[in-house]
Amino acid sequence: MSSVGVGIIIALVSVVGVFLFPTLSWALGRWYQGRLVRALNEQEKRTGNMLQSEHYLSTSSSMNAIGANGSTLLHVSICVGPSMGQMFFMWFKSLVGGRLASYDTVLDFGRREVLLRLKKQADDFGCSAIENIRIETSVISFAKNQKSKTSSVEFLAFATGIRQ
Amino acid sequence: MQPGTTISLHMSNVETIPGKVLVNSLGLVTGSTVRAKNIGKDIFAGLKNIVGGELKAYTELLNESRNEALQRMMLQAHSMGANAIVNVRFATSNVAAGASELFCYGTAVIVE
Repeated sequence: MSSVGVGIIIALVSVVGVFLFPTLSWALGRWYQGRLVRALNEQEKRTGNMLQSEHYLSTSSSMNAIGANGSTLLHVSICVGPSMGQMFFMWFKSLVGGRLASYDTVLDFGRREVLLRLKKQADDFGCSAIENIRIETSVISFAKNQKSKTSSVEFLAFATGIRQ
Repeated sequence: MQPGTTISLHMSNVETIPGKVLVNSLGLVTGSTVRAKNIGKDIFAGLKNIVGGELKAYTELLNESRNEALQRMMLQAHSMGANAIVNVRFATSNVAAGASELFCYGTAVIVE
């Protein structure tokens, strides 16, 4: 009887041991990323109209830039990744499929952040319009093992900044 | 041209350089660099992966590399006698585990 009890205790401890770190990482990740997103929301509100031109963001290359004084190539990139815990639980989620909320949050954050930085860079260069914006996504595998291959995603935004 | 010198040409990712007149097209120029992470940055990024979010070490590494690729492209354009590059595109690819290639290409032109 006691050997069964010991067996149950060992099983419980190992289950807790396996799930403890991912749960901790998941919770920390949720908290940290929530903070990042809130900070981003604030910044977007504050700097939404940083560039004072009316057509300041455009994905087309048609020139509203007639009378432009100069131009510059802008490029910004950012590397983001979900936390280890999120990746761990995502594996379970991917058994049933559907929406992967952790990736949603992280990728959405990265894309918004990179656009914000593009605007900032344009402002630094004194540009009043941004033309022909392109956003590219690529999986960066700096990790040696295959398992953590999708641990980081790079967003690259590039555009032509125009001084008017 | 001395190696290590930085040069700066007009660049854009549209068909022209806004505000300038395109005089002559000289053809394709490319620049690329393959980078691997260094172990210090990797350990730090691994720690950062506990909470997720932005991995600053990788962001910096990629930015540095991309600037170098651009610099190589500009050197090539400069040696062809161009003073501007239009239609610049970027591409990123994984060439091996632990390394990635940053590649940029464009059309070298002369503008006035």
